[in-house]
Amino acid sequence: MRPTEFAYHRAETIEHALALLAEHGEDGRPISGGQSLVPMMNLRLARPAHLVDVNHLDMARIEEDADTIRIGALVRHETYLTHPLIARHLPAMLEAVHWIGHPTIRRNGSIGGSLCHADPTAELAAMAVLHDARIVLASTGGRREVAAVDFLKGAYVTDVQPGELLVEVIFPKPTGPHVGTFDEVGERLGDFAIGSFGVRLEHDGTRVRRLATVCGGARMVPIRMTELEAGAAGQPLSALDPVAFGQKVTAMVSPSGDFRASAEYRRNLIGELASRTLQRARDQAMGMK
Amino acid sequence: MKPENPRHLGARIQRLEDPRLLSGRARYIDDIRPNNCLHLKFVRSQVAHAKLLEVDTSMVEDMFPGTIVFTGKDTGALSMKAHQDYPEMQYAEQPLLATDRVRFVGEPIAAVLAEDAYQAEDAAEMVFPDFDFLPVIATMEQAQDPALPPLFDGWKSNVWVERQMAGGDLAAARAGAAHVIRRTYRNQRQTGVPMEGRGVIAEYDQSMRVLTVWSSTQMPHLVRTYIAEELGLPESRIRVIAPDVGGGFGVKGQVFGEEVLLAWCAMKTGRPVKWIEDRRENLLASIHARDHLHTLEAYVSAEGRLLGLWADITVDVGAYSTYPFTAAGDPGMAAKVMPGPYDFQAYEATFRGLASNKCPLGTYRGVARPSAVFSQERLMDDIAREIGMDPIEFRLKNIIREFPYRNVLGFTYDPGSYEESLLRMRDLLQDDIAAAKASRTDPKTRIGVGVACFIEQTAHGTPDFTRRRVPIETGYVAARIEMMPDGEVLIDLGLQSHGQGMETTMAQVAADALGVTPDRVFVRHGDTSAPYSVGTWGSRGGPLGGGAVHVAATEIGTKLKLIAANLLQASPEHVELADNRAFLRDRPETGVDIGYVARSALRNIDRLPEGMSPGLAAEASVDGPKDGTYSNAVHAAVVEIDVPTGKMKIRRFVVVEDCGTIINPLVVDGQVRGGVVQGIGSALCEHFVYDEEGQPLTTSFADYLMPQAPEMPMIEVHHIETPTPLTPLGAKGLGEGGAIGPPAALANAVTNALDFEVRETPLTASAIWHMAQDAKGV
Amino acid sequence: MKNKIELTVNGKGHALAVEPRRLLADVLREDCGLHGVHIGCAHGACGCCTVHVDGAPRLSCLTFAVQCDGKTIETVESLGGTDATHPLQQAFRKHHGLQCGYCTPGFLMALVPFVDAKVREGTMPPEAEIRDAMSGNICRCTGYQGIVEAVQDTIGQGLRSQGTGQ
Repeated sequence: MRPTEFAYHRAETIEHALALLAEHGEDGRPISGGQSLVPMMNLRLARPAHLVDVNHLDMARIEEDADTIRIGALVRHETYLTHPLIARHLPAMLEAVHWIGHPTIRRNGSIGGSLCHADPTAELAAMAVLHDARIVLASTGGRREVAAVDFLKGAYVTDVQPGELLVEVIFPKPTGPHVGTFDEVGERLGDFAIGSFGVRLEHDGTRVRRLATVCGGARMVPIRMTELEAGAAGQPLSALDPVAFGQKVTAMVSPSGDFRASAEYRRNLIGELASRTLQRARDQAMGMK
Repeated sequence: MKPENPRHLGARIQRLEDPRLLSGRARYIDDIRPNNCLHLKFVRSQVAHAKLLEVDTSMVEDMFPGTIVFTGKDTGALSMKAHQDYPEMQYAEQPLLATDRVRFVGEPIAAVLAEDAYQAEDAAEMVFPDFDFLPVIATMEQAQDPALPPLFDGWKSNVWVERQMAGGDLAAARAGAAHVIRRTYRNQRQTGVPMEGRGVIAEYDQSMRVLTVWSSTQMPHLVRTYIAEELGLPESRIRVIAPDVGGGFGVKGQVFGEEVLLAWCAMKTGRPVKWIEDRRENLLASIHARDHLHTLEAYVSAEGRLLGLWADITVDVGAYSTYPFTAAGDPGMAAKVMPGPYDFQAYEATFRGLASNKCPLGTYRGVARPSAVFSQERLMDDIAREIGMDPIEFRLKNIIREFPYRNVLGFTYDPGSYEESLLRMRDLLQDDIAAAKASRTDPKTRIGVGVACFIEQTAHGTPDFTRRRVPIETGYVAARIEMMPDGEVLIDLGLQSHGQGMETTMAQVAADALGVTPDRVFVRHGDTSAPYSVGTWGSRGGPLGGGAVHVAATEIGTKLKLIAANLLQASPEHVELADNRAFLRDRPETGVDIGYVARSALRNIDRLPEGMSPGLAAEASVDGPKDGTYSNAVHAAVVEIDVPTGKMKIRRFVVVEDCGTIINPLVVDGQVRGGVVQGIGSALCEHFVYDEEGQPLTTSFADYLMPQAPEMPMIEVHHIETPTPLTPLGAKGLGEGGAIGPPAALANAVTNALDFEVRETPLTASAIWHMAQDAKGV
Repeated sequence: MKNKIELTVNGKGHALAVEPRRLLADVLREDCGLHGVHIGCAHGACGCCTVHVDGAPRLSCLTFAVQCDGKTIETVESLGGTDATHPLQQAFRKHHGLQCGYCTPGFLMALVPFVDAKVREGTMPPEAEIRDAMSGNICRCTGYQGIVEAVQDTIGQGLRSQGTGQ
């Protein structure tokens, strides 16, 4: 369990990294925390001929402007736990981060690496989908932005093209009062989830202005429950019925089963987590009145 | 029996081996680096069952010149032979490298030897076996399907062995029963996973004709004997050393083909050869465990007395028979121990081991007993439920109280505290039982309490192995002790300590007999330079290793007293040895340093009594009692289930245990707690899964899930000490017991919480949720 | 092809030529002779190989040595010398937080910064937080209890010695 041979390139600037990635195309892979890529390399499931180390690039900042929070690709997971911008604008993310791996992984893993690995139940991928985040991909040809739902194409498959580097993830700021919750169930703390659910609720103190949801474990990528979201908009907070909401989610998802969890269990679990996260979000929202 | 007034035996002293381990200065197998060493990588089968047509190694020679590749063509008939001499048992060998057929994913096909481990792995990818696929036996049903061909030529079926055990009049028990209760229980396949995998280094000195093998093993002498016999070498010229070993748990308690192969490679190449198992091959191809299916039928009187038990035991033993406990080991053990701690005198069991295209089963902590106790103790709860009795009361009604007790199969149980342990546990659980009752109407959160009461035959002696006709053949442990002229003590112990703390416990035992403090005793172990012994397995370190040390040290102590009596001009019975001195019991100020006595025996021998020969060495071996010595315990789990998600939290785990004389409570508590957490893993999450093609699905730690700290509770351990008359110190074995009770205790707790009979493990969230769905009233 | 790197390991400089694919764990063990770095799984799931890179715990099986050029690395050998005198090492011994010892260096390297941080904060964390801090490390022998108790004991000592504990 040791990697195949590769050439190592330490990128000093983003331009340098992009030039290296352009040069090596399909044979090149960026490495940041290495928490997902190196296990794959040690198992020889990933065999990049050229590894471009991007850890020294200026991509480790969390910044805000009027409408967005911009998270650099190198921001490590544990950063969110104490960052005031996350607590203020992305509370669901704060809850989700607790479920990522273990302390050493949270200290070293980066958002760029996690999103590019695209594990089906990864928490940060779910957060990107929940918050309508836009993924910024750079190459020598310029930059493009991709919506998170379009970026995540399947299990371990993303929209990153050869020569491209994920440099930043842009999270729109919620407008007005909002709450966010996230919950998941795995066999052990830190394991990839059997099922997960996240809720972002924007409100005006009495009514739902906007409901966003994300569901992990139902398919190979995190999914939104757009029908339910649309139905909730404009409703009084007190009219949100978590139990009925959970039942609807259960009826709408069709996950597959495996040796760890049956499809039927997963379906009901996701519904239950939907109900619990909505209930907490609604209660928090109503408490803010 | 337990020695009187011990100074060090029974003391909670910190371990003497710890500084080496804590400081990163221990020496494990991978830390040994002979010069000019070749690194070996195995090419292992990626298919479950196929004819092996050809192994193409030409690409290796082209791309990696200088690399050496061996295949089954080179090793030929060299094999692992592990046959239990039952007339019903079918015979099969496992070639060191596959010759004409592969039978499980992970079976070694070729050995690639290169200058470093990275290169060996590169080259191994260039070996291409050619297969002709055969039908796969992936389930117990398939193994018993006469339409499917046997795994071995000449076999009649895919049953390694099927055999009966019986005692008493079961027909009478059945006829007298008011209740007949029949249930089927299942435990999943798992593996043992020491944090350090296996590893072997072999080096052959041509000029001396001496072969040295370092192996991460629990049984160096058996490795030596097997290599000598298989390779035709004089055993006197082989030395096997187990350095610091990073956990074993029984996994390293077999002789492996890899050990023989490395020795062969070193002789063949004339260079040292090293193989360090990677985690994937450790999960795939070391040994697996459990995978039991039991159907039991109990006959119970109207008053709630157990009259008799019928058992049908099936175990999927996998593709090969492992040495020295064989393919009959697990199923036979389950049948043997099923009667447990209960008083009944009619029993019939059929046990069978099935062959399948899976990794061979071997010994893993508890060996069949976690599964047997799971079935036995689930059945006790199910009977109690069916006849409307409290489960603890039902056990108390049937528990054995008189000792020695001759059980239905003729095994004699030495004294234990079966009833007292249950009563103690009942007291400890009062509040939890009340909380469980109160939760019965709660649709979301249920609390359940479950107990498992069991005995464990430990430190089995030679007669037990003779009876079973098993290649281990014997069960004794030996030690050689020498006191040096300065009064320091060296023990060469025939055991291997890989976490059990024997460098401390054996020093405690010797210290009492020799009158020294434990820090003056140096315990060497895991080396065939110690007297021949069977190694560390089967819960025998304390009772037999401790016994041998006690006997040998006492012999030296007796001589020290004679010498000291001469020096002090007193009679030997007035001399006491303690605190590194020999002194007069009633005048402690009159004495000499133990080193002075030792020097008198070894250097200044003019000080010896008339006619006494010099020397302060002794050797002793202690075999296990004929039927072993029986430890007993009650485990209890208190669980809280979140019904809508099936997530279970262990609120409390309590152990009341009796392993006879305790040598060091710190070590005993550690063994119990560590065992319990492994047992919790068996119950909840550890599952080695194969698909219908015999492809393994759990080949990394992302899929093979072991207990981690956040889910584990503190484990309360209570001791009762009933020394056995059958071992020199009164100690019984305790290394495995912790792992035996948890599956049953947890399953009984879930049964109690959901009012639904649990029939199988693992108790995953998904499984618990389904049970809650199927349960009435949840 | 080998790359030239310089590492400061346990205070000592090492100038090495390494193949880029060589794991930091292998280089520390083989080139620097630090056998206290143990490889348990080589896929980042057991914590045995935890070392400190520039002061923070990192899995040396998920790190290429070539990435560490110019960095400072600490291994278990740096903690309390051959006598294992670091308070956490002593507490492991007292509470029987180790048996076979194979996972122990990884636990120590993961937990020393946690213990230090809690002492600095002046708080005794709840048991659940201590267990979370060791959730990336697997111990197969102890059942974790002795390790939890060792962490509690060491933090308690630290708090008492700086007068912030109860």
